[in-house]
Amino acid sequence: MRIVYLTGEHVYLRPLVIADKDSASAWHPGPFLMGAAQAEKVLKDEGAGAARRLALVRSQTDEIVGSVKLTSNDGFRRCWVTFHMAPSTIDCDALRAEALRLIVRWLRDQMEVMVVSVEVAGDEEETIAAAAELGMVLSARLREFVSRAACRVDRLTYQALNPRWEVKDA
Amino acid sequence: MRNPVMVGDRVYLRPLEVQDAEGIAGIDAVETDTFMWRGPMPSSPLGHEKWIAKLYEHLPPTEIVFAVCLKEADRFVGLVGVYGIDLVNRVGETGSFLGPAEVRGKGYGTEAKHLLLEYCFDHLHLHVLQSFVLETNTRSSAALAKQGYRHAGRIKWADVKNGRYVDGNVYDLMRHEWVAARAAWLQSRTAGLTSQ
Repeated sequence: MRIVYLTGEHVYLRPLVIADKDSASAWHPGPFLMGAAQAEKVLKDEGAGAARRLALVRSQTDEIVGSVKLTSNDGFRRCWVTFHMAPSTIDCDALRAEALRLIVRWLRDQMEVMVVSVEVAGDEEETIAAAAELGMVLSARLREFVSRAACRVDRLTYQALNPRWEVKDA
Repeated sequence: MRNPVMVGDRVYLRPLEVQDAEGIAGIDAVETDTFMWRGPMPSSPLGHEKWIAKLYEHLPPTEIVFAVCLKEADRFVGLVGVYGIDLVNRVGETGSFLGPAEVRGKGYGTEAKHLLLEYCFDHLHLHVLQSFVLETNTRSSAALAKQGYRHAGRIKWADVKNGRYVDGNVYDLMRHEWVAARAAWLQSRTAGLTSQ
């Protein structure tokens, strides 16, 4: 059974399942290697934890192209969105941008989340454009925070503030 | 001094030990300032013991927390640390906590923080550090500015304080900025000693 949460034109989101242990490089963040046995443990631990990680899947091929972690410490009143894209994915900026559109609209407009925050590297142009299109505000810029092959780029924090939340004196 | 890693004139940093749990809880219990988070919160040594033990489980570590001790009488007066260490991007987030209130305002925190920054930049070779402070915590913001941190933005609706949501200020710091700030701090200390 395929449990699909959100579907866009090229990607959809679904919960991770034990079978995904065989493709940990695609969904587990970081450049370090993870074998199937360790991945199964991570999946079980994360499944029982408070944060939620969803697989980001290419619709056409059902291939996992990344993951998105949703973190909240106050019952999804405020939520941080963290992307990881599979190292083998070439069009990751476009896919991440599409996923961001799905996630922010879902969290802000349906789940009534008060503020959705996401961190984006300064060279992820399509994702930045999607954030702007969604009405997210640029809240912080950490200089040279992300390492690239031959340079460093800033890390930007974008936030989607839910206008339905009236914040006294804010 | 016991197991020192970074040593200053009046303060030294050493690895945090499980035995420090009671000291941390003791500082929490007599905390009088309410500007840092929502307010004072009593804590259990048992919880701190578990947290301290976990600090050493993950290799390479994702957080490094030092006990701050006064060289005189070898007294434990708080913590400084670097969290969310990312050795690929060479970044981390710093934090500090000194207490009880009687040890604040004497320059111990600044000295401890400079030792931590030296460790981060010159031992771990991190490229940039960040720090986060609630907008209500003006004292920590001023301290960060003196240590060379630059304001990097405001995170909206970061926490609740005095019945409303407040923002958090984000700062970043590069090595050359810290070196300049430390030189200014050392110069001001020397000038202070000369004028006395």
